[in-house]
Amino acid sequence: MLFFSFFKTLVDHEVTVELKNDIQIKGTLKSVDQYLNIKLDDIQVVEELKYPHMSSVKNVFIRGSVVRYVHLPGSVVDTALLEDATRREASSQASKTKQG
Amino acid sequence: MSFFGFDHTLPRDRGHDTSAPGFSQAADPFSGARPTHYDDALDFEDTYDGLGDELDEGDDAFNDDTFGGRGEAAVTPGKQPVGKDFDFFGQTAKVAGAMNEEQLRFSRQQPISKVTSAQPSPSFAPPAAKPVKTGYERYKELGYVADMRVDADIWGTAPKRAPAQGSPGLPPPPAGRKMMSLEEVEAAIRAQTKKPAESEEPSQPPSQHQQQYPALVQQQQYQQNHHQQFQQFPPHPQQQHQQFHVQPLTEGPPTPHRQQRDRKQPGIAQQPVHILQRGPSVGPHGDKQTTVLQNSNRHPGIQELGGSRSHANSPGHRSHPSNGRQIITHPTQLADLSEEDRAKFLAEDAKRAKRNHKIFLMSKDNGLMTPQDKNFITRIQLQQLVTATGNPNEHGTGSGLSEDFYYQVHNQIRGGPRQNPGQPLSNFAQTYLYQTGGRHSGVRRQNRGGDNHLQRMEHQVQRAVEAAKNKPKNKQLVIEGSLGKISFSNAKTPKPLLNFKRTENDRKAPAVTGSDRKTVLADIEKVYSTLMEMEDHDRHNPPPLHNDVDPELVGRHMDWREKAEKLNAKLWQELKVHEPIGDTEIHPFIAYLSFSKGKKSIQRVFRHITHEQRTTILTMIVVHLDQLDVVRQAQLLTGENLLNASIRENVELFSLAVLPSLFTYLGDAPLDIVTGVLGLILSINVDIISRTRVGVSLLTMVLSRAELLKQGGEVDEQEWTQWSSTYNQFFNVLEPTLPSIFPGTVNTGEDIYVWQFLAAIGIGASPEQQQRLVMAVKDRVMETVTLAKTLPPAMSNQRLANVNLFMRSIGLDVELLA
Repeated sequence: MLFFSFFKTLVDHEVTVELKNDIQIKGTLKSVDQYLNIKLDDIQVVEELKYPHMSSVKNVFIRGSVVRYVHLPGSVVDTALLEDATRREASSQASKTKQG
Repeated sequence: MSFFGFDHTLPRDRGHDTSAPGFSQAADPFSGARPTHYDDALDFEDTYDGLGDELDEGDDAFNDDTFGGRGEAAVTPGKQPVGKDFDFFGQTAKVAGAMNEEQLRFSRQQPISKVTSAQPSPSFAPPAAKPVKTGYERYKELGYVADMRVDADIWGTAPKRAPAQGSPGLPPPPAGRKMMSLEEVEAAIRAQTKKPAESEEPSQPPSQHQQQYPALVQQQQYQQNHHQQFQQFPPHPQQQHQQFHVQPLTEGPPTPHRQQRDRKQPGIAQQPVHILQRGPSVGPHGDKQTTVLQNSNRHPGIQELGGSRSHANSPGHRSHPSNGRQIITHPTQLADLSEEDRAKFLAEDAKRAKRNHKIFLMSKDNGLMTPQDKNFITRIQLQQLVTATGNPNEHGTGSGLSEDFYYQVHNQIRGGPRQNPGQPLSNFAQTYLYQTGGRHSGVRRQNRGGDNHLQRMEHQVQRAVEAAKNKPKNKQLVIEGSLGKISFSNAKTPKPLLNFKRTENDRKAPAVTGSDRKTVLADIEKVYSTLMEMEDHDRHNPPPLHNDVDPELVGRHMDWREKAEKLNAKLWQELKVHEPIGDTEIHPFIAYLSFSKGKKSIQRVFRHITHEQRTTILTMIVVHLDQLDVVRQAQLLTGENLLNASIRENVELFSLAVLPSLFTYLGDAPLDIVTGVLGLILSINVDIISRTRVGVSLLTMVLSRAELLKQGGEVDEQEWTQWSSTYNQFFNVLEPTLPSIFPGTVNTGEDIYVWQFLAAIGIGASPEQQQRLVMAVKDRVMETVTLAKTLPPAMSNQRLANVNLFMRSIGLDVELLA
């Protein structure tokens, strides 16, 4: 849930989603769900000449499983907090593993 | 004496209302010929004991056949059937003597037939049609009253059979619906009026109508008491209690006596009341409404009483007819309307009709689900929501926070959007709960049941939440007798593909607290997790204590403090500040500080530790200052102008993360501590320290703090002497290093902290020391001033200002050099 939690904070920020088929889509993150499916608004494909079929698309819903990378604006990431969140996630995972 | 048979056989009766007694009579008991449906009547009669029906018919028959022609009935306005009914008795009274004779005669003539005819009647089962017929034929005869008389005699002779309802083989009508004779009713009412307390029936809420009766009844009583023997009402002799039958015969009209008897037998007295109330107080017994109404309408004895009641009830009863009238009136109204209005009206009407039709269509499913069913479904839905999203109440607390920690805290810090766009589900669950509460809260006041139900619902949701919380714990189901396990998974806890059982032995910590990278990193992580625990614990700080001592709250505070102390001890241990110095090459805490993670943690650590612990940490750092990576590695070798990037970064981080905490602490420290710190510094390699930014910054802080304390004037003389001697020692140690204190050449320009340091020294220095100071740094001053002349004005001014910082501290100014 860490990534879900993290991506939620990026809502309404501009991100670039790089898909596994190499298309890079830049747009405003509108929402994300637990599968990390992503909804982008006002999109723009980075290499528009290469993917002309995308030029008329204004918003997209991207299935989480086809995302390779999400390029984030560094300024909106609270690193210290993210570290802590990661620690929490790790500890909860560890406790779950112990239980299982 | 079943109805059906009677109705069919007698065309007269059929024409009359009585054939379909329930409906038409309810609306207008005396409205004569109105088309009725026998079949309908049949249906209704199936549902209740026919006693009432029978009686009703008898009553109608009386009114129309016997007394319709008589003056009294005609005279009284149709509006007051009560009066009519009374008249009937009065009329009867006129022929009382003849009737009496007739009765006696009849009873003697055919006692057995009477019994047969009387007996089956109470059941009113359809097969018993024949007796009914005979009974009604008799009504049409002149001597029918006498007939009834005979009935009474028979029962009088066979007292035990009197409660005729109990005829074998036939379902006994419920006691509550037993039809009472007029006398009984009267008696009951009189008993009621005279002794209201006695007749009070807890199960029967007093109805409005009931209040009306006493007056009416009393009227009746005066008439009836004179002709008591005739009060045995012909149509329902079979229902009369034995006492009533016997008495009129044996005793004439002694009203007082009867009253006495009523008093003696409250049970009997209450029964009529029962019936009386049943009619009007239909509300409470909604299911019995129709039958009860019919009963009351048909019951000859009660109907008289109920005459007024039927008026009172009439709005309810007549609602349908009146509706019909409305519809009928519409066309006439339509004619007057303009074309447009008519169209509008018709359209509206059509719409309404359509809507009604729709409602009707849907209404066939009405009541398909009971409220319980609906709640059951709601609970299932809530449960699913809960399992899908986790406990909605958990957010912001405990495990919920750890699940969504980053987002929650990030939002708190940055003030992100309030509504969580990413998690509508949990919100939904909450909202839904809230709505449910709201919907019920309106009803709550009136409806205790709803309240309970809501509580149950809340309870259920809580339990569902609990169950959902516990669910991940047993992710595996081992079915008995099976060889495998079934493991569950959901979005939150995916099914583990690999399941390693880790025993505690596998991860036993190395006994020696080494300073190797891995150990230190692990230590740092431990500190962080403890820190987070402490921060969570801080959030759960119980509300502040008030003046009024709440033992529970006090207890919570104590628990809280106890836990906080435990956590603090844990943290302190993990920081390894107290590890003996010198056991390892590098002290664990210093090793801890050599990692950027460790440096960053200091600020947070400082927030959770006591003053003494802070002092200890400061001491630790000062004692090991020359061992700190940011000091050790930050030495500029000859010829080097700049430190390499990673070291610079470390220094920067240390300055930002660790030093501020120390400075804050020092900023409040008393002089003895400041002196102590300086003394500690004297014990280590001052040369190394003073050639690093971190060391210089720390020294600056110490010196300036002392100066501030002195200027504050709250300094103990002895302490100040101590400080001065330490300072002098320090100056002596530092002096040789002063020329090489500046980093790099003058061109690098990153020497402001050195000038600050020099200024701090200069302020506290004696004139002699100041002179030595100037001598030591004179070259650099001159270099900088010279350089400043070649620089653009802005930079030049900056450089000169830096130098001036020092110059002013010793009472000079750069201007003098220019």
